[in-house]
Amino acid sequence: MPRLYLSGNEAIAYGLIQAGVRFITGYPGTPSSEIIPTFQKIIKNKGLKAFAEWSVNEKVAYEVAYGASLAEIKTAVTMKQVGLNVAMDPFMNSAYVGTNSAMVLVSVDDPGPHSSQTEQDSRFFAMAAKIPILDPSTVQEAYDFAKRAVELSRKYGIPVMLRSTTRVSHGRADVELKGNFVNEPLKAQFKILKDWDKKLWRYAATPRQRLMLHAALNEKIAEIERTNELRFFFKGDILIISSGAVFSYLYELIEEYGLQNKLTLAKVDMPYPLKKFDFSGYSRVIAIEESMPVLELQLCTEGRRNGIVPKQGELTPEVCEEILGRIGLIKRGKTITVPPLKRPSLCPGCAHRIALYAVKKVFGKKAIYAGDIGCYTLALNFGVTDTVLCMGASVSFGFGFKKAFQLAGTEQDVVSIIGDSTFFHTGISPLIDAVHYRVPFLTIILDNKTVAMTGNQKTLSDEVSSSGEPVTPIIIENVVKGIGINFVQTVDPYDFDVSVKVLKDAKKFLKERNEVAVIVFRHLCVNTKEGLSANPRYNVAVVKELCKGCKLCLTEFECPAIVFKEEDVKAEIDHTICVGCGCCVHICPTKAIRLI
Amino acid sequence: MKLVILGKGGQGVIFFSRVIAQASINKGLSVCSTEIKGMAKKGGAVEIQMKIGEGMSGMIRRGTADMVVLLSRELLEYAKTFSENTFAFTDDEIQTARASVPMRYVNTFLLGVFVKKTKLFECQDFINILDEENKKSFIKGCDYVQS
Repeated sequence: MPRLYLSGNEAIAYGLIQAGVRFITGYPGTPSSEIIPTFQKIIKNKGLKAFAEWSVNEKVAYEVAYGASLAEIKTAVTMKQVGLNVAMDPFMNSAYVGTNSAMVLVSVDDPGPHSSQTEQDSRFFAMAAKIPILDPSTVQEAYDFAKRAVELSRKYGIPVMLRSTTRVSHGRADVELKGNFVNEPLKAQFKILKDWDKKLWRYAATPRQRLMLHAALNEKIAEIERTNELRFFFKGDILIISSGAVFSYLYELIEEYGLQNKLTLAKVDMPYPLKKFDFSGYSRVIAIEESMPVLELQLCTEGRRNGIVPKQGELTPEVCEEILGRIGLIKRGKTITVPPLKRPSLCPGCAHRIALYAVKKVFGKKAIYAGDIGCYTLALNFGVTDTVLCMGASVSFGFGFKKAFQLAGTEQDVVSIIGDSTFFHTGISPLIDAVHYRVPFLTIILDNKTVAMTGNQKTLSDEVSSSGEPVTPIIIENVVKGIGINFVQTVDPYDFDVSVKVLKDAKKFLKERNEVAVIVFRHLCVNTKEGLSANPRYNVAVVKELCKGCKLCLTEFECPAIVFKEEDVKAEIDHTICVGCGCCVHICPTKAIRLI
Repeated sequence: MKLVILGKGGQGVIFFSRVIAQASINKGLSVCSTEIKGMAKKGGAVEIQMKIGEGMSGMIRRGTADMVVLLSRELLEYAKTFSENTFAFTDDEIQTARASVPMRYVNTFLLGVFVKKTKLFECQDFINILDEENKKSFIKGCDYVQS
């Protein structure tokens, strides 16, 4: 096999398929999103029969894959670490019930965090569920451990977590593929009537039977624990125990600083379950790991609890160097201050910008804007997002804020802002509550027909699946009307005047009818081929004589294609990135921005 | 060799780095890298840290890179946190690239300039792996340095 230059996520997809996984689900989330698209590409190229599709959210993804694994198809499910929070219920329970074939959960953590709400450590969650964890340190290991996870799950009849992190998943290396793609026929079986009585108790267990399942789980874990060995590198008096990406940084630093005689480095492939080890020969034992003390607490070592390892932030090679300094092994070099980079903005031509500008124009700066997870979070740059908690929370927050102010007898406009995919994910349930309790706030659904933030994955409104099969598109308006919302309007936000009118109508409706209203702003994402080719294309220019240099177009609209020339105190269009959408003509108070 | 490659979204930074990686792998060298590109399309920077023939992870500590290649000169101050040894393209090189090849091949033209000027790699190793259009552009970049 040739050596392929793969990302960690691509390597995981290769490993899973070669180990026989033929059913994979998940929900997109950086840094986990590339596993399923790679899986889809491989099965297509190799002509393998498999199901590889996105689910509506992580809980559903987990349950669908778990169901298939009970039907004896080898399965996997992928998500980012906060996605695991959503899937926690089936995750915890699946440990008790166990698997009939292999099931691997790939959960990707984001110490830093680079693009997440928390720095939580998925390993802790697996430990809480009593599910074994494999924690790769390199891209090669991501591939190897994916295969190992499938085998471990199959052997012990237990779901296995493959925990990756941003640096492994988005790292790239030349990977040696050791296996083949076997196209063996799939056989599903679950309910075999002749012995169903003996098996049924496991799948529909009563609380008393749950206790028996828990005992069986403990036996599996004890057995896996016995096989779990550490790997030792170098030979020194102080023992450092590590797993994941951090192991590779420590290994490199020990070689670079010539600490081979001072330190022993122990590598943990499987951070849970760990047996007791005899470390009495070492003067100190320290765990260095991301991002919480999983090894440290199990093995009772030094680390975060005695202040050697920082309790927050990524353990980058620089931080590992500082830790070695704190242990007294090296002199710490000078710290280098890193200049801040330009903050990200919504893309030029993004319909979210003009939609949310219209919302701000009608509802004003005093309204509470409950935002959500997606590109449109960036609207906080121009004041149309006040809160971002977790997937779907914009709608629940809309309910909570409005009800709180109603209770206190205070006037307060509340607007929830949510994207199409996030709405499907967890936005529908809180909206049902809001209808039921008649809470008068506005929910804006920004529908660009794609999961834009994580790399333009398909959504439920698509008519063709990733594998080219016809699928039934889910119509947002039907869902919203179906739960009893009486104000549902759909607008293309590029029609600015219509947007403003509909927003005013919604505002009036909220006051008069005292119930929730929904506006769907629909416009394709300009970051997709279809979106960009369908977009209008004007030649936009700033008429110098009319521009007063008020900077409103920069501060209140923030299109990256509008730049400010300090020398002549005027705005200017950067034609290298302007897509010619023409939305900015609605912004300028002196009508200096024109279509020519 | 520890190499950092910096640029902005849409400049073809990722492709630029992957060709370097593939050329090195074909030489039998190990390559590991880390890519930061999440916000690239939203005006953020694209950053690739790459170790060729050494190391276990692609992560490079600030101040320890052998060279930083800049596709966008506005990132110079940031680049210097990795190494004082920075390689940026001259205005003349960028203008010639834009004038002589279609926009989407500007990065391979500049790659040709980089390979030829720094002599860190051999041009032939790149010519062997590029497709026709990229190859033409790469060779133009190499030839530009010679002329």
